[in-house]
Amino acid sequence: MALSFPSTDYFEALKGQMKAAQEKFSRLGFIDTTFAVSVGNNGKAHNYVLEFEVYELKNIDEVPTVDLKKVDFSIEGDERVWREMIENIKRNGQADTAHDINTLTHFGEQLKIVYDDPDGHDKLYRFMESIQEFFDLSSQLEVSFT
Amino acid sequence: MAYLATHDYLEDKSFVDKWLYTMRTGEMDLSWMNAKTEKIKPRPQNARRGLTYRDLDVGSYGFTEVPEKVRDNRSYAPRGAEIPAGVPDAQPWVSRKSESWAFNTESYYEEAVSRQWNATTDIPWEHLEGVELPEATGKALSQLMTFLTEVEMIATDTPAMWLPRLSPDFIEVRAFIASQAMDEARHAEVFRKRALTTGYGLMAASPMNEMALKHLRDADSFSEMSVALHLVAEGNVLTMFRFSEYLSPTDVDKRIFRLVMQDEARHVGYGMQHFKYVLENFPEKREVLHAHLDEAENISFAGAAATEVTESFIILAGGGMKKEQIDAGIKVTTQFNLKQMSEHFERLEKCGMPERKDRSKLYQMFLMGKAAAEAQGIKI
Repeated sequence: MALSFPSTDYFEALKGQMKAAQEKFSRLGFIDTTFAVSVGNNGKAHNYVLEFEVYELKNIDEVPTVDLKKVDFSIEGDERVWREMIENIKRNGQADTAHDINTLTHFGEQLKIVYDDPDGHDKLYRFMESIQEFFDLSSQLEVSFT
Repeated sequence: MAYLATHDYLEDKSFVDKWLYTMRTGEMDLSWMNAKTEKIKPRPQNARRGLTYRDLDVGSYGFTEVPEKVRDNRSYAPRGAEIPAGVPDAQPWVSRKSESWAFNTESYYEEAVSRQWNATTDIPWEHLEGVELPEATGKALSQLMTFLTEVEMIATDTPAMWLPRLSPDFIEVRAFIASQAMDEARHAEVFRKRALTTGYGLMAASPMNEMALKHLRDADSFSEMSVALHLVAEGNVLTMFRFSEYLSPTDVDKRIFRLVMQDEARHVGYGMQHFKYVLENFPEKREVLHAHLDEAENISFAGAAATEVTESFIILAGGGMKKEQIDAGIKVTTQFNLKQMSEHFERLEKCGMPERKDRSKLYQMFLMGKAAAEAQGIKI
């Protein structure tokens, strides 16, 4: 059955995929960061806080609003853009050069990075390859959109 | 020979006789077995992570208890070992903890070790087979890679030359700095490889940027080196890597820039945590750091005049040399330059130097540049 996006189930499924790909993520190295994913739709947002530790995603929490003091950074954007990214990953097995996280967030016109502390912001780049590979795992999921 | 042993052992008959006597009789001294050191048994706090430097932060072996001024150990004795009479003075230049320490130094090192990568095997070089970039963008990419190789060579030298100057009690800082030198050597390797795989060979060295890089190398203290290297230079380069990833023409370039940006962001993180630490624990250093930043920012600003780098960036950003491409490239490059400046002041403020904006001529340039860009409809 297809996983609905956005949903906790979707991120739980990515967490499972990440665990199954431990060899790859161990090779990429420690990933110690907590960040939020915010998916907007018609003025409302679904927000998920993802807590990574050592080589894996440890916790997923859906929260009503993102407290920027409790996360390193938040990736925010309209559901349309997230959907395009996820569908692109599914089509190519990984994000192509126009749909990777750094490209989509670059000018803040598609996805946007929001943060309180620049040190937290820099963690996006410190763990970039692991974060990209994490989202690329979506290629192994069947996802449906509202 | 800059250093001679304090004794000529090869000509000392009693020393030679003792050596032969020990071989003949097997008689041992064993006094080292009574070293007056602390006995501990550290364990990993997290078995998945392994036994880390933080797990060794116990008693006389730990980093928490290292005093601000290390007076006892000027040799290569590992922190916590018994130091017998007769060890030489290794003459460390940096014996104040706040002059090199960063919050979480040990975890930056552990992260560096676990996130190493290999420029030979982790880049899908085979994907370049059959890729022919147009001459203008190919040459521009090679020029950018030539410049970045130059940058990374000095970025290798600079931390490495501080290694023997740091007190041995700062073993975690020394380890991090050694890991940084390795990171930068790998960056020089990957950029050289990419420059040559464009098929256009290397392009021109950059006199303006080499002046800036020499400034990094010749700082008077570790903290001055760190603010110029980790915060100003690597902060700028991190922004450049993010833009370069965004502009990358192939998945090979994307992967290169994603991997180098990870290392660069870690170095910036260490720099921020050191800057915070030194400002909190050695307040007298604040004015020295301001003065060093005055010059570092002056040189950083001058980098924009390095036409070989700026022009290649404009061509890459616009995707070619047609009028509309150059216009688009100038827009992106302006955004890039302003973003570099904005993030620089954001970091300094968060580290505890909010007054920098009031003093900095670069900040005035940022405000002027931002207003000019906005007048052209360019947002940052």
